[in-house]
Amino acid sequence: MTTASMSDREIRTDRMRYVKNTASSRLCYLAILLNVLYFVSIYKSDVGSWYYQILVGGSIVYNLLFMLMVFLASEGVKSYQKNYSWLLYVIGILQAARIFILPMQAHTAVIKLGSAERVVMETPQFIRCVVYLAASSACLILAAAINQKKAAALEKHIGATGKEAA
Amino acid sequence: MAELKLQHLDKIYDNKVQAVFDFNLDVSDGELIVLVGPSGCGKSTTLRMVAGLEDISAGHLLLDGKDITQTPAKDRDMAMVFQNYALYGHMTIYENMAFSLTLRKEDPNVIHKKVLAAAEILGLTSQLNKKPAQLSGGQRQRVAMGRSIVRNPKVFLFDEPLSNLDAKLRGATRREILLLHKRLKATMLYVTHDQTEALTLADRIVCMSMGHVQQVGTPLELYDRPNNTFVAGFIGLPPMNFYPDMLFEDGKLKGNGFEAELSDEEKDTLKDYYGKQIILGVRPENITADGPLQVKVVNNENLGMNTLVHGTVGNGAHLVAKLRGWAEYKNGDIAGMQFGRKHFFDKETTNAIRKEGK
Repeated sequence: MTTASMSDREIRTDRMRYVKNTASSRLCYLAILLNVLYFVSIYKSDVGSWYYQILVGGSIVYNLLFMLMVFLASEGVKSYQKNYSWLLYVIGILQAARIFILPMQAHTAVIKLGSAERVVMETPQFIRCVVYLAASSACLILAAAINQKKAAALEKHIGATGKEAA
Repeated sequence: MAELKLQHLDKIYDNKVQAVFDFNLDVSDGELIVLVGPSGCGKSTTLRMVAGLEDISAGHLLLDGKDITQTPAKDRDMAMVFQNYALYGHMTIYENMAFSLTLRKEDPNVIHKKVLAAAEILGLTSQLNKKPAQLSGGQRQRVAMGRSIVRNPKVFLFDEPLSNLDAKLRGATRREILLLHKRLKATMLYVTHDQTEALTLADRIVCMSMGHVQQVGTPLELYDRPNNTFVAGFIGLPPMNFYPDMLFEDGKLKGNGFEAELSDEEKDTLKDYYGKQIILGVRPENITADGPLQVKVVNNENLGMNTLVHGTVGNGAHLVAKLRGWAEYKNGDIAGMQFGRKHFFDKETTNAIRKEGK
């Protein structure tokens, strides 16, 4: 089958043999950026020793792992590799779940500094963190879904035309 | 249709150095013109003026009758292929070929069709996902050509595109360019200093020296009927043998310690030069073995099908003969040879002496 005899939709799919899945990979980069914004905005210096706990240590380690895995997945989805969609779904769901771990705990925690009591994470800061995590999660799930759809279409197209994949 | 007219083009740089003098050329639609000459003769400058990369100091450039002398390069609808390929190393071949169209914001589906069509023509379909560094020099040059083809320009401009390739690849890519020209039927201007490229590719050749056009004609015209000693010496390999100070008298040419017999037609050609000195030119391939001319052999190069014999004649004038077959001469041998077709040039002007009407 030549491009001359293809419909617009088929040509769009055929293009995927040579054009990278930049939509998914860019969404991955955006998710990393939002995650960075999340973890730089979560900490506050005037809440005593609240952050000195294993949960925060785990959060720091997870942030590093998150960036590594999402970056690897961004490279995978660039070349329409289906399996990376599943990885992104999992990371995306975990990212949404994180809302209910550290930010929620910090938002509900109250500490005593001298005679004054104060909330570890005020509402505006909490909302910011939730937005960053939710947006990051949405980006990852969207990237996974786009990649899954495109990869399936490309697979079907290659099967039909017998042409080589990218 | 893409007819190009170069009318009285001059190029004078800011430091007052003039690189091109009164360049005139009419290029027909679908014609492949090769600009040839030694380094610094102004051929690339002329091409860059046509492309819009150099300002035109004087004269006019017309494309399909429209004056484009002042038109910016991007609006001239011409595509240029450079010697160094000018590919983006971080992009795939597909992306490199699609780049100019992407910049123009063309429909991605249209771009895809054009890139695949160009890749098919150039045999690059299986390389489209590779990066330029993964390709050979010849393939990279094909990519550069492909990038031009997708734009579907009115005129293709080639600036010494084969200079970076080795001899074998150069021959193969040259044949590809020729096939491409036949297939696209596009107007092409091609710059080279390699006369073999010029002779094999061109519909017409423009031979340049020191910024001046020396001769415009078909490859055969330039080879067979050179206008002057420069063209005669530049076109042809090995170059033509020249013997200055040859006196025409007694039906013979005498000088440099030897005599050359002339045919009746040659005598007729030289009838206005009786008793005058001229320059005699003989192509190495127009010299045959077994003749009255005594040549002292200096060096013998066997090329398989031919033998190049370097020697001296008369009072030490240099001679190169390209003899058919395998010949065995030793240094110091005296070989009898004979001049065949001769070219005559005026000693003062160095212009060719021809019979009237020829």
